[in-house]
Amino acid sequence: MRALLASLRDGRGFDISLISITMTFLLLFCGVPLIYNAIMSFQEVDIFNLNTFIRPWVGFDNYRALFADATTLPIFYNTLVFVFFSIAGQFLVGFALALFFSLKFSGSTYLRGLFLVSWVMPGLVVGAIWNWILSGDFGILNHVLKYIGVISDNIFWRSDIHFSLWAVIIANIWLGTAFNMILLSVGLAAIPNDIYEAAQLDGANAIQRFRTITLPMMRATIGAVVSLGLIFTLQQFDLFAAITSGGPANSSNVAQYRAWEMSFKEYDFARGATISVLMIGVVMIASIIYVRSTKQEIRG
Amino acid sequence: MSDEKSKWINRLLVLIALTMASVYLFPLYWMFVTSLKTGSEVFATPPALWPEIAQWVNYQDVWQSKNMARYMGNSLFIATGVMLITCLLGTGCAYVLARYRNFWIDVGLFLILMLQVLPASLMVTPLFVGFNQLGLLDYPRIAVILAFSAKTMPFFIVLVRATFMSVPYELEEAALVDGNSRVGAFLFIVLPLARNGILVCAILIFMQAFGEFVYAKSMIQDAQLQPASVGLNTFMGPNTVEWNRIMAYSMMYVLPILGIFILLQRRIVAGLTSGALK
Repeated sequence: MRALLASLRDGRGFDISLISITMTFLLLFCGVPLIYNAIMSFQEVDIFNLNTFIRPWVGFDNYRALFADATTLPIFYNTLVFVFFSIAGQFLVGFALALFFSLKFSGSTYLRGLFLVSWVMPGLVVGAIWNWILSGDFGILNHVLKYIGVISDNIFWRSDIHFSLWAVIIANIWLGTAFNMILLSVGLAAIPNDIYEAAQLDGANAIQRFRTITLPMMRATIGAVVSLGLIFTLQQFDLFAAITSGGPANSSNVAQYRAWEMSFKEYDFARGATISVLMIGVVMIASIIYVRSTKQEIRG
Repeated sequence: MSDEKSKWINRLLVLIALTMASVYLFPLYWMFVTSLKTGSEVFATPPALWPEIAQWVNYQDVWQSKNMARYMGNSLFIATGVMLITCLLGTGCAYVLARYRNFWIDVGLFLILMLQVLPASLMVTPLFVGFNQLGLLDYPRIAVILAFSAKTMPFFIVLVRATFMSVPYELEEAALVDGNSRVGAFLFIVLPLARNGILVCAILIFMQAFGEFVYAKSMIQDAQLQPASVGLNTFMGPNTVEWNRIMAYSMMYVLPILGIFILLQRRIVAGLTSGALK
């Protein structure tokens, strides 16, 4: 007993207790739900058996029903479009900004940091603001676009099935650009300046320097930023709730919103769990890529 | 000549940067301006960049009619709870993960990085059903605090671990040689040295929890207990026209977060970049 106490105060027991308390917590509130989620996706879950653990086992019926549903594939396709264009937009704008801010000028660090305000805002507020900016008849974006002559008629961003998904993508690009820019700036700052100077002496122009020095040196950073972008984009929920609610007619619905809708709007928890299991699989793969691209960091 | 030239380039760059920052931050300005307009000014064409007379009364009106004090109180309660649990449980774990280098530590880190990515909207289904069975949903704010702490914990651990890595191990060793126990060295040497980094991370967690929506929306049915994010969602509805009042609500909701951000901007940016990469 005394040896145990001593170990807790002054030995291995100290480390082990610190780490095991946290791990137990994470196991209870992440690990167990994950497993429970998978189990539910093989069960029949309804309002009546919601409170019992013993529910009818239905095998892959939920999965079959999911893919037999005509709305499922378009929603997965939307997810793909949403993820791809969100990441592409965030990354390109973020990289351009990071390159610009890497030119040192007075106040560059402060101004760059200011962009990050988009990242700390509650997602629902960002959604509310963009909902208003993108409003059809009175939205400022339509007004500006008409003023500079890009469009002649108002675009009904939120209620036109051809634009509703893009409304959320635009808001999401705005939301994520700053984070991309900050991380890419860190990567840019880590490239030693003398490489550029040497290349300049050898007569390489700016584009050549970018292609042969910046891009190769940034490979790990870019990998991490893109996979982080994938992870954050797949987590995006608030913007859908605040701008389109997945509508009209599921035209802007994506898997992570659909899973929630199934459980909490239609009370079909088994279907919600089924979509969740599939999407969690996708997210896990993305995070393995992320972990691999930051491996140097983990190895220290 | 060259000096004069670089001065002008500097000015030009600052000008471009300011332009880009104002374009990027325009949505925030638009929220602010809209919140000060009258109901008819909101729908004026062309939209005015500044209202005729600033309607500060919108704020008072929304604060009272939407019972915002209650919503903000609930947000504060949830955010404080999440921050406390995350810090209490996360700090020690981050310390151990920073201190050692072996196979099991790598496994632990890998698990934590994997947990960091689980989307809340996917985890909420099993959490809701499970909490319901355990009776935890009778205390819905506690349920949200627990669920969201599990979400923020991995992020916190990754960031705070980076802070602990920058505390030289020699200092701890010296404390041990001087007769401190491990507990003593951790509490009186390592923790104080890592204090600033931990504080910044705690504030980041607080800001995230202050804006949390998915768990609160799904688990808290009683309007008395809902946080401001759910209140905003209810306020907006599908066919709203009260944009000036919604923007006033949003302004009041984000003001604490904006305030913290502006005060601690430099530290937040530094803390964030240290953990996510290198």
